Amino acid sequence: MKTLTKIALVLIPTITLSMAATAHDPSMHAKKAEKADCSKMDHSKMDMKDPVAIAMMKKCMKQAETSSDKMDHSKMGKKMDHSKMTEMADHNMKKDGHDNH
Amino acid sequence: MKMLKLLLLFVVLGLGVAATVMYSGVVDVAADEPHSDFVYWVLEETRKNSITKAAQNIEVPDLEDPDLLLTGGSDYEFMCSSCHLAPGQKESDMSLGLYPAPPNLTIAAESHKGHEHGDDTQAARKNFWVIKHGIKASGMPAWGKTHEDERIWAMVAFIKKLPTLTPEQYQILTAIE
Repeated sequence: MKTLTKIALVLIPTITLSMAATAHDPSMHAKKAEKADCSKMDHSKMDMKDPVAIAMMKKCMKQAETSSDKMDHSKMGKKMDHSKMTEMADHNMKKDGHDNH
Repeated sequence: MKMLKLLLLFVVLGLGVAATVMYSGVVDVAADEPHSDFVYWVLEETRKNSITKAAQNIEVPDLEDPDLLLTGGSDYEFMCSSCHLAPGQKESDMSLGLYPAPPNLTIAAESHKGHEHGDDTQAARKNFWVIKHGIKASGMPAWGKTHEDERIWAMVAFIKKLPTLTPEQYQILTAIE
């Protein structure tokens, strides 16, 4: 009975405190830089005189240009060493896993 | 002479009461304890009239340029949305915890109950002034200390369109490239 009381005395405050800590985890409040989700843009319903529609189009076009620039294989040349890619990916994965604490 | 003595007595009494209130600690400054209706009304009227007067001569630029929505959108998302919310959002830790509660800017000015915003130009003037100068003891910072007027106007332009935006439109306009 005494052991049970001791366990309860330790566990109840621990669980209560850890729940409070989860509710106020700073990551819940952190703003993350997100890319524009242009897939949901319905061009047929857009009024191209509306500043909101024009701004959205500009944003999505700029984003598409940026990503196509990044994927422009003609500019990649022969400097890219494919043999090291698996190694680099492994390294990045380990690094990402390490960032979460 | 008698009147002067009486007036002096009232002044001394008034100062005495004020000092007692200040130093006794009886005033509750907790943000989770609202003001009385009278105190709230006094502070609200003071705030509204102060902003209206200070902003009355501000010249409003053209706010219809789509580029303003892009600059203002990302600034709004990172500087304002945690208190003033985003489309589809009803509350946040900040909107619940701050007192006075920050206004929900995703709701059109016309649907705000109990106070007037004036026409578009007046609303833009007031928004610009509040963003630039902030409001004392309210949690609203003076962004003008670190941001140029052009950037503040971009936020004003975005706030003007905010009540009309869907969550999807908001996501696109506020995303960082």
